[in-house]
Amino acid sequence: QSSKDLGLLETSTNCILLHTQVGLLSGICIIVGTIIGSGIFISPKPVLANTEAVGPCLIIWAACGILATLGALCFAELGTMITKSGGEYPYLMEAFGPIPAYLFSWTSLIVMKPSSFAIICLSFSEYVCAAFYASCKPPHVVVKCLAAAAILVLTTVNALSVRLGSYVQNVFTAAKLVIVVIIIISGIVLLAQGELRQERMGWGKVWMVSLWPRLTWNSLCILRVVLNSRNLPLAIIIGIPLVTVCYILMNVSYFTVMTPTELLQSQAVAVTFGDRVLYPASWVVPLFVAFSTIGAANGTCFTTGRLIYVAGREGHMLKVLSYISVKRLTPAPALIFYGIIATIYIIPGDINSLVNYFSFAAWLFYGMTFLGLLVMRFTRKDLERPIMVPIVIPILVTVTSVFLVLAPIISEPAWEYLYCVLFILSGLIFYFLFVYYKFGWAQKISKPVTMHLQMLMEVVPPEKDPE
Amino acid sequence: MAAEQRKRDSVGMRMEGCRTNNGFVLNEDIAEPDPCEPGSSRDPPQPNAAAAVSVAASPEPGAQEPYAGMPKEVLFRFSGRARYRVPRELLFWLVVVAVCLLVAATVTIIAVSPKCLDWWQAGAMYQIYPRSFKDSDKDGNGDLKGIQEKLDYITTLNVKTVWITSFYKSSLKDFRYAVEDFQEVDPIFGTMKDFEDLVAAIHDKGLKLIIDFIPNHTSDKHTWFQLSRTRTGKYTDYYIWHNCTQENGITIPPNNWLSVYGNSSWHFDEVRKQCYFHQFLKEQPDLNFRNPAVQEEIKEIMQFWLAKGVDGFSFDAVKFLLEAESLRNEIQVNQSQSPDTVTNYSQLYHDFTTTQVGMHDIIRDFRQTMNQYSREPGRYRFMGTEASAESIGRTMMYYGLPFIQEADFPFNHFLAMLNTLSGNNVYDAITSWMENMPEGKWPNWKTGGPDTSRLTSRLGNQYVNAMNMLIFTLPGTPITYYGEEIGMGNILVTNSNESYNTNTLASKSPMQWDNSSNAGFSESNYTWLPTNSDYHTVNVNVQKMEPSSALKFYQDLSKLHASELLLSRGWFCLLRNDSHAVAYTRQMDGIDRVFIVVLNFGESSMLLNLQDMMAGLPTWLPVRLSTNPASKGSKVDTRGVPLERGEGLILEHNTDTLPHHQAAFRNKCFVSNRACYSGALDLLYSLC
Repeated sequence: QSSKDLGLLETSTNCILLHTQVGLLSGICIIVGTIIGSGIFISPKPVLANTEAVGPCLIIWAACGILATLGALCFAELGTMITKSGGEYPYLMEAFGPIPAYLFSWTSLIVMKPSSFAIICLSFSEYVCAAFYASCKPPHVVVKCLAAAAILVLTTVNALSVRLGSYVQNVFTAAKLVIVVIIIISGIVLLAQGELRQERMGWGKVWMVSLWPRLTWNSLCILRVVLNSRNLPLAIIIGIPLVTVCYILMNVSYFTVMTPTELLQSQAVAVTFGDRVLYPASWVVPLFVAFSTIGAANGTCFTTGRLIYVAGREGHMLKVLSYISVKRLTPAPALIFYGIIATIYIIPGDINSLVNYFSFAAWLFYGMTFLGLLVMRFTRKDLERPIMVPIVIPILVTVTSVFLVLAPIISEPAWEYLYCVLFILSGLIFYFLFVYYKFGWAQKISKPVTMHLQMLMEVVPPEKDPE
Repeated sequence: MAAEQRKRDSVGMRMEGCRTNNGFVLNEDIAEPDPCEPGSSRDPPQPNAAAAVSVAASPEPGAQEPYAGMPKEVLFRFSGRARYRVPRELLFWLVVVAVCLLVAATVTIIAVSPKCLDWWQAGAMYQIYPRSFKDSDKDGNGDLKGIQEKLDYITTLNVKTVWITSFYKSSLKDFRYAVEDFQEVDPIFGTMKDFEDLVAAIHDKGLKLIIDFIPNHTSDKHTWFQLSRTRTGKYTDYYIWHNCTQENGITIPPNNWLSVYGNSSWHFDEVRKQCYFHQFLKEQPDLNFRNPAVQEEIKEIMQFWLAKGVDGFSFDAVKFLLEAESLRNEIQVNQSQSPDTVTNYSQLYHDFTTTQVGMHDIIRDFRQTMNQYSREPGRYRFMGTEASAESIGRTMMYYGLPFIQEADFPFNHFLAMLNTLSGNNVYDAITSWMENMPEGKWPNWKTGGPDTSRLTSRLGNQYVNAMNMLIFTLPGTPITYYGEEIGMGNILVTNSNESYNTNTLASKSPMQWDNSSNAGFSESNYTWLPTNSDYHTVNVNVQKMEPSSALKFYQDLSKLHASELLLSRGWFCLLRNDSHAVAYTRQMDGIDRVFIVVLNFGESSMLLNLQDMMAGLPTWLPVRLSTNPASKGSKVDTRGVPLERGEGLILEHNTDTLPHHQAAFRNKCFVSNRACYSGALDLLYSLC
């Protein structure tokens, strides 16, 4: 028993580090695999329906792809310059100091990440349950039960073994790519048979709205993956346009069997596609879409576990959250915390609105990160930058982010945005009480709690402080 | 053991493909790159670890007490204690058990969930005669764009389905039966593009669309008929042709069969020199459904509309699909009558021209075609059949057999055919349907239609609200013909060059939207039928404003129907009948409330003693909804519920002894799809 020690963690860490030098091909594979979310299979919900010609639509498409690539390149510079994990957290820390970084981790740990985890699990559950309720919505109880089960399983799996977690991830990512390929190929076959109707093409921009945030969002975790790779910029420049091409091809596939209106009205586009094209094997599609949804949920376990861990390490959350399981070598406390919060979000009626309003907060922090890149060009000239993007790029993406933060607030002002801001700022209270002044009585409570939790979960602080 | 496990771990990690590095990585920024060659990882990492441990030795190496942030050496001294180990194990297994329980709960709930109501069961249908609903292009005729303009109004009615009657390209001016091209919209209603837009708009509003389908016959202008009369290829047998003799302009038909509109149903065709058969007018030759090619053509047409997104069909005149091949003469009702004078349809028994063996097989075949389009979730295609003037037994045949699916329901015209009202005849109309309907099937109730006289004119306008209350509180799908929700009446059509039979136009007058000219139906100075003169008081705009209007009441009813499980899928128990009033209850297991509906269809006001009809009623019951706005929220005495002529009440009775469990109501209670409600979990289950 006692021979299991943290030395292993270090060894495997080095191996993983070594392994980050992935080849160009696998780098591209990772990018394509992670960016394509389950949205393209389910429904183009955030769509503003207005018909336009093919030309302008494709231009907008290309513009989105380019913007996303630029955003990813900015993250590439940041990621190679500050090689620390924890999403935007270290970048904000480096650029603006601890308070914005703290607010970022506060908001994302308490609201953004767990609620999106909950949402993904809920949509997985809804997807699975819907198969059994042909003509109506499944009762909330069922959806919530299954979603809670999914959260528990995923957090347990990830807390038990990193290997198991990444194995699960590989399987589901592969499943996703398989179904993407199936849809694209059958679309091409149909196209070859001359099924596409020209008028349907105009709706390619349907997906555009959801494309751009998704790209940047996920480039965060990609960059974790291909960190330090010399191929990184190349992988981004090839990978992201490739995703754009995938999206366009999937759209073309959909349009071969559906009219734009049908596409907009379909509950699950890929399922409709499957029903019409792959019958009698149409069950393949919902199965694989469910896989890809659960894979996405599993992916958030990976990235968020790390985020919580970093926040704990910095003393921005309970220290115990940064501890590592002695026997399993996983950030178990962080994952358990994540799972518990996500389960709590499952319970109330509808958290979709919460997520919608907080999406502006996500853009706020993206914008700040891009701004941070600009700021550090002047304040931290000394840092080595293996990748250095032209300064126009961060300026452009910063402006775009500002626009994306302000656009929903100006077009549809709602009190909820104010509540979001208040919530974000309320993090300051905790910051000053527990982080900045470190009141004695807070320590008195947290110390025994930490101690007992440590013994309960068998977790210890990471051996080496990276700082 | 442990070393092996670790080895597998690290090897496994390196072998992983795309996502390996998303694994938990502790120190990415370790300064000294210590490349781990393949060999090194196979070695037990013990030495490394020991070094690491000594570096990170705890600040208090000799401490016996645990402390926050302790390293693993200290931790292991304590964490193995039962007081930590047991809860740890316990919590882990608790999580495992919780997952199992949650999955089990999910599976159980799914297993016991009753089949949920499909869209055609969930809400009312609204039948539109498109030529009279709304004119968008100022030509005096309603059109598809007009319907699209008025979809907002339709949504305020809380109906689920829009039913548009025939709009196919047709030669007959009545636009109902003689279709020239089944795959074209008649120019008077707009274009195919208009139709596609309308489908999209209807679906955008969350509504469904069903359309008429007329398989029995075509127009004599239809290409098929033109090709058939010249004996062109496969079209030769598309219609029912028989040799007949013609002498001096007088045709001697093959048999005595009569057309629905009177006189022989055979007509001599000068081109083909043969007689063709027509159940209706001579301009409407019957298709030969014994020809498989015709059946295929019809299926293709169905597929054409299903692919356009239509959610279902109302199959018209299906009982006429087949005729006896033997051509035997039909039997006269009055045997003593001279055969030469038998010209009226009602003077024969139609044993050889209606509901022939094989007709249901054709409809079941149609159902199969529709099922191919029903596979997508939420896209079930509805099939209704028109079976007017059929006996109840024959009507029920359209529901199909336990293992053979046919129509979802045959439309129920029995209420629409009542020409006088009384408690007894409404009671009979209800019981005959409910008792004859096969188990598990879904009823429906229709108060009017294009071919029947308007309710107000047929029964009197004091019964409008009561009839609407009736169809919304009976189990099943209520079907409302346009204008019935505001109590529109018949018009008098004195001279019209539009139709063969002016009587059938009476209930097709333009929809009354507002006070402006043509009742807001059209901006042209001519409308194809005159507007009813009462449109200044009976119109949508006025009734929208008026709290006690028929329209408001209709909206209240449809809202109640949508929100109350009792009404949408609860039990239905008929109370003892009364010659003037009808009384019944709606209830559901798991909901401790019973709706008691009482309606006075008699000629005068009355006092109804509910206590006689149902045991255990309290003396006073609150009124949930009433046709008389004044009594809303009041209480009534159950020993004598005062009911005005045409008044209806929904009473709410809080009890947990539900009528369908009581012996007194045995054989008086019906439910289509048994389900119980659990308030705690907010779900329905079927095991009860």
